[in-house]
Amino acid sequence: MTQTMRPRARVRARPAPSRKRPGRFLPGLGRFALFALPGLVAYALFVLVPIGMTAYNSLTNLNPFNPPTQFVGLRNYVSLLSDAEFGQALLNTVIITAIITVLANAGGLLIAMLLDRPTKLYVLLRGVFFTPVVLSSVVISVIWQAILTDDGLLNSALRGIGIDEPPGWLSDPDIALYSIAWIMTWQMLGFCVVVYLAGLQGVPRELNEAAAIDGASALQRFRNVTWPMLAPALTINVVMLLITGFKAYDQIRVITNGGPGNGTTVTMAFQVVQTAFVSNRIGYSSALAAVMLAIVAFISVVVLRFLQKREVSQ
Amino acid sequence: MNARPIVATFVGVVFFLPLYLVLVNIFKPSAAVVADPAGLPFPPTLDNLTAVLTRPDQLFTFGLINSIAVTALSVTVLTVFSAMLGHYLARARHWGAKVVMGTLLCGLMIPVPVIMAPITTVLKWFDLMTTLQGLVLVNVGYYVPFGVLLFMGFVKGVPLELEEAASLDGASRFRVFWQVVFPLLRPASASVMIFLGVWIWNDFLTPLIVLGPDSGTTVTVGVYRAIGQYQSDFGSVFAFMFLATLPILIFYLALQKNFVKGLTGGAVKG
Repeated sequence: MTQTMRPRARVRARPAPSRKRPGRFLPGLGRFALFALPGLVAYALFVLVPIGMTAYNSLTNLNPFNPPTQFVGLRNYVSLLSDAEFGQALLNTVIITAIITVLANAGGLLIAMLLDRPTKLYVLLRGVFFTPVVLSSVVISVIWQAILTDDGLLNSALRGIGIDEPPGWLSDPDIALYSIAWIMTWQMLGFCVVVYLAGLQGVPRELNEAAAIDGASALQRFRNVTWPMLAPALTINVVMLLITGFKAYDQIRVITNGGPGNGTTVTMAFQVVQTAFVSNRIGYSSALAAVMLAIVAFISVVVLRFLQKREVSQ
Repeated sequence: MNARPIVATFVGVVFFLPLYLVLVNIFKPSAAVVADPAGLPFPPTLDNLTAVLTRPDQLFTFGLINSIAVTALSVTVLTVFSAMLGHYLARARHWGAKVVMGTLLCGLMIPVPVIMAPITTVLKWFDLMTTLQGLVLVNVGYYVPFGVLLFMGFVKGVPLELEEAASLDGASRFRVFWQVVFPLLRPASASVMIFLGVWIWNDFLTPLIVLGPDSGTTVTVGVYRAIGQYQSDFGSVFAFMFLATLPILIFYLALQKNFVKGLTGGAVKG
């Protein structure tokens, strides 16, 4: 995500004199290309070929336990349109993604501004917020499951203070999805904090001081000085969170397994995996996967472009 | 202004509560976990930790060995392969290199579930399904774009003059890379190792599917397997998780320092 922004920098960073020097040290695809080979072969075998297979399989009714496999054209994609489970998975994914994008960004920004001081206390607190980023989603899911499950730590505490019927955070079909979104927000918050902190450190102190002398209030200074300079940080966080939301799988698998009730927390990634490995409908699952990839690609390219344009215009 | 440390500490404490619950309940007997989840563990017990280490099915021990093997191998291979590929792509002027670069960039955004089923097919071609080697290869293929991207940025910081000088002294292309360029890429290698080490250790879906249910798992998948059995014995689950996370946390903290150290400082005058 950060990486995608690099090409611009690359053009500038290219040392001008080297262009004049001919051939020998700026090789083409000669023997030096052998250097590229091992990494490329692995990439081709385990990413490019599988992508091609997903695309092709999505046009078949492939099911290893139900041969023969036939070419069915776009039928899988047509079925998707009337598939209620897919509709729900898409909606759930959008809800989760929207919540984590808004909450983790807003929370991350507030906390970054709170921690934007160089003393030890704040450095320590940065570490605290960053810890979940280093932990596995599985571990985070298990922690929150222990807290939020019906007889879990939170409800024990709530009963302790006299609330006899606390909510079923993970067992109530109306709440479970939001609990998942909350857990993912907690997990991603530290990432946003660190990115915003890096952004804040790039805001020249003099700018804020000058604005203060000119009589700008704290709010005006934030809106007109700090916030525009945080545009690149916002880009990174939004794109990162959108992609994280759209590929949400681990938390669902570990915590709710798609339930409670009928698919109330099923996400697109979860449906792709379940359809492929539980129902064995590889063909249909591939069509789901292709749609999911299209959405992620759209986010990566279009949203990124849009946000980067915003960075420049400000 | 004076409110800042108080507010910051308060928010930090609230945020840390879930992790605090894990840390204290590891050292409590099951009854105390339910009765008083937030209290400090007095007297502390090591029963939960020893129970994990002495499990009859050795879910933890085998998982730990597998995780260390897979992570160490994947990260080592990835560091070398992506440094080589990154070095090549940063120096090559051929249009083909640009195409390759674009293809790799696309790979950065592909979610694992999208390619999981075909990955198992490819692994079956080579008879590598349910093997650690297979998992390592999948990791290498999937994470190589990230490594290449990081290395490419750093290779541009290595002066071409160094490579020319070595080459004029008669070093082969391979030797130039291995003895001149690669050592200068140490900070990039450290970053690649930190990121990929943590990601691969924490991976869930790939090892879950590639290693399958029968032939052992990684510790991270082990955590998932363990929750089914322990049901609501939170102390044991937390102990399992804690032990499964400890190695990668130590690795992260140990390498983190290298991360920021400068790169080619002093290699060339000017």
